[in-house]
Amino acid sequence: MAVVKLNGLSKRYAATAAPAVDNADLTIEDGEFMVFLGPSGCGKSTTLRMIAGLESITGGELTIDGARMNEVPAKDRDIAMVFQSYALYPHMTVFENLAFGLRRRGFDKAEIEQRVTKAAATLGLSEYLDRKPHALSGGQRQRVALGRAIVRNPKVFLLDEPLSNLDAALRVSTRAELIRQHRQLGTTMIYVTHDQIEAMTMGTRICIMNGGRIVQVGKPLEVYENPADTFVARFLGSPGMNLVPSTVIRSGGGYAVKFGGTDLVIPMPDITDDDVILGIRPEDISEDASEGSVSFQGNVDTVEPLGADTLLLFRVAEHDAVLTARVDRSFQAFPGQSVTLHINSPGIRLFDSRTKAALMRTEPEDA
Amino acid sequence: MTDASVGRGAIRPLGRVFRISPDGPPLGTVMTFLTPALLVYLVFTAYPVLRTFYNSVHILHPRAADEYVGMQHYVQMTTADPTFWVAVKNTMIWAGFAPLLDVGIGLILAICLYAKAPFARFFRIAWFTPVLISYVVVGILWMWIYNFDWGILNGALRAVGLESWTRAWLGEPDTALVAVMVTHTWKWAGFNMVVCLAALSALPKEVLEAAELDNCNWFGKAWFVMIPMIRPTLVNLLILSLIGKMKIFDLVWIMTQGGPLWATETVSTYVYKRAFQWQTFDLGYPSAIAVFWFFVVLVAVMALKYAFRQRDRLEY
Amino acid sequence: MPHSKAITRALLLIAISLYTAFSAGPFAWTAMLSFRTTSEISKAPYAWPETFRWQKYVEAWTGSNYDTYFVNSMVITVLAVLVTTVVGAMAAHCLARYRFRGNRLIYFIIFSTIIFPPQITIIALFQTLVDYGLYNSRVGLILVYVSVQLPLTVFLLEGFFARLPQDLFDAARMDGYSDAEIFWKITVPIGMPAIVTTVILNTVHIWNEFLYAVVLISDESKRTLPLGIQKFMGDQLEDIGMIATGMMIAVIPIVIVYAIFSEKLIQGMTAGAVK
Repeated sequence: MAVVKLNGLSKRYAATAAPAVDNADLTIEDGEFMVFLGPSGCGKSTTLRMIAGLESITGGELTIDGARMNEVPAKDRDIAMVFQSYALYPHMTVFENLAFGLRRRGFDKAEIEQRVTKAAATLGLSEYLDRKPHALSGGQRQRVALGRAIVRNPKVFLLDEPLSNLDAALRVSTRAELIRQHRQLGTTMIYVTHDQIEAMTMGTRICIMNGGRIVQVGKPLEVYENPADTFVARFLGSPGMNLVPSTVIRSGGGYAVKFGGTDLVIPMPDITDDDVILGIRPEDISEDASEGSVSFQGNVDTVEPLGADTLLLFRVAEHDAVLTARVDRSFQAFPGQSVTLHINSPGIRLFDSRTKAALMRTEPEDA
Repeated sequence: MTDASVGRGAIRPLGRVFRISPDGPPLGTVMTFLTPALLVYLVFTAYPVLRTFYNSVHILHPRAADEYVGMQHYVQMTTADPTFWVAVKNTMIWAGFAPLLDVGIGLILAICLYAKAPFARFFRIAWFTPVLISYVVVGILWMWIYNFDWGILNGALRAVGLESWTRAWLGEPDTALVAVMVTHTWKWAGFNMVVCLAALSALPKEVLEAAELDNCNWFGKAWFVMIPMIRPTLVNLLILSLIGKMKIFDLVWIMTQGGPLWATETVSTYVYKRAFQWQTFDLGYPSAIAVFWFFVVLVAVMALKYAFRQRDRLEY
Repeated sequence: MPHSKAITRALLLIAISLYTAFSAGPFAWTAMLSFRTTSEISKAPYAWPETFRWQKYVEAWTGSNYDTYFVNSMVITVLAVLVTTVVGAMAAHCLARYRFRGNRLIYFIIFSTIIFPPQITIIALFQTLVDYGLYNSRVGLILVYVSVQLPLTVFLLEGFFARLPQDLFDAARMDGYSDAEIFWKITVPIGMPAIVTTVILNTVHIWNEFLYAVVLISDESKRTLPLGIQKFMGDQLEDIGMIATGMMIAVIPIVIVYAIFSEKLIQGMTAGAVK
């Protein structure tokens, strides 16, 4: 049970180089499942390693339950970590691997026995306790790694891309397993991944990092719906948000942005510059008109049927980019064909063309 | 329309250099681990090397102070010591020819095994055995093989009616060096074979299958595909073998002690003789030879390294 | 076409068999000689032993000092290998796991010794050991062997240790391991395959070593097997049967090691040369 607080946490490897983690501010509440999400090299793993105590903190402060942790060695932080490669001790049996951290902390034999047995039972490892890691499957190894953290009953769990070495099917089931474990244990968990599906499904909140900085923190759907900048807009969602440069114009009593020869009415012009970046999620462009939608003409580039739905790659007049729409799987089109598509106005997002930051939120007016 | 501002950050997470402690380890820890090795290195390698350099410009009198003589030993060695030049010549001949022989035989054997010969594993182990046997045993064994009266080489020649070819192989200046070289190759061919075989086995099968579709027979595959592809390994082996030949001592010492008439004298045996056998009690002169030869080896290795620098990464 | 293929195959087999005879024949012959007396040998050098005279081994062992040589070789090899392994593993672990200024420099300095010809050190080693009263002493020879085998040992172990996953060491640190414990309880047990390889390799090298032994040892009672055989050869040039027995005594332990660890040994011997 713990609150982990990052106050301007920074990591610089050499005086001259750009910082690996730059002035990170974040409070992770008790019992929260916080996911650090970002592309490789964004500083998420370094941040996690600083929290773990495996990496020194070169700037700012880290506290757990209010106590400053900067100088506390890793073993004394009451933190458990699940490593990407599992880091099971290959020369020890499963039992010894699970018991090891407890032994090192001076627990008595009976207590160790009891905790290991219990953890092994929850994770379905009871019959493998005498095996060595090399005699286990990938999924079993992963569970031992998790078990090693669970038996310690730590204040905070750190998980560093723990699913990335599993095959696709196992990843889905282990994801569910982790969510279940988190619900049962109620411990604060910090989870690092570059996989947005893991982040969306598991996190109570996600923290998106890029270039060593925290870009946005929020509940998964909140972040998905209202990305703080164009990076998040593109990074979340598969495919990411369509982004096209555009201009804000005065239209009648209100405002609008230009898009493919149409004007999209927007409610609030909180801008200093008329040049903006217009963002629309592929699922906010459809082949059917709906209430309040605006239609435009697109020129089909490629049709990609995914099964559940179909991705339509198309071009619009006045823009260079290929845009994507997620349309119904029954939709038929051929390359070069001109089609009428509809934009769901509440889905429109605007970003500053210079700072790339989000400009306004078009809340659905009648919801 | 890309996010130029938020592209890739100039961040390097942990690279190949690992760390245990966050900010580099305390000096004490590093020293505890390294001191024994460094101590052994300083006392038994670095100091002797320096002392040999010192020796080489002195005459060491057994019961008096060392006498500084500058470059005298080097001058004497290069201008007034024909035996030294014979030793250099012999070593050079050895270093020039034997590596080709070693690696060539090793390569042919490896290709034979690679061509799916039956019992390949057995042959591999059998052919490697001479590598593990001490030079003393190998030397004596081959002295018997070369024996004039009952050695198997002369025996075989007599059996096929080539009586006139028989000779005391190690006793005649014309054949002694070649005889010792053959023995050395006998010992090391298996080593080269195993390395070539490992390199061949690491080649992608598809390339050889492609060669087969291009109508290559086994010879064609070996010559046009396998050998060019394992060229880095072959170069490596040649250099390793060359270094070995430049250092050669044991086998010569056991079999001929440099004789007959300096026919097999190598730089190493000559250094040994001058230092420990001639009772001159001067360790300065042989030290000068050792220093000279040290630089020859160094230059040879660096020259080869330079010659193959871009195409091949060298290891010793 | 199948016809020519069969001929190629037959030729290949003949070549392989011939080379095997060339490579293994001399040994088989020595092994036979070791069971025969010199007078039997002089009558028919290449005959199969009529009776296997096992007692020749007993004679060599007790009558010709081979017991002394063997024990010396054994003690020197075991101790030198032990020290080399511990010292080398510690250095390799340090170079593979810690980042500090001069790490690669130290690695390069130790490693570059591999190309040094032995004569660059042998004369001065002789002088140095005389100075410190370690000349003609088994301790001196052991220390020299440690220094000679150290570079290869560090090279092979560093390469292996550096490939162990860093996560393992992070996990150990979170479990509260000290630096020394990380070495003894993580690196050593997990690096055991590589350590075993270097142990076997060093054992073979030191067991067979001749040059340093001949320079640094002079007493009969301190000779190792290679020296002993050479000495016996010098004294009893004509006693072929007995020399062969002595040679087999030196070779048999290596053959046993090879029989058990052939793959590991081949790997170790060739590790530096294979890409």
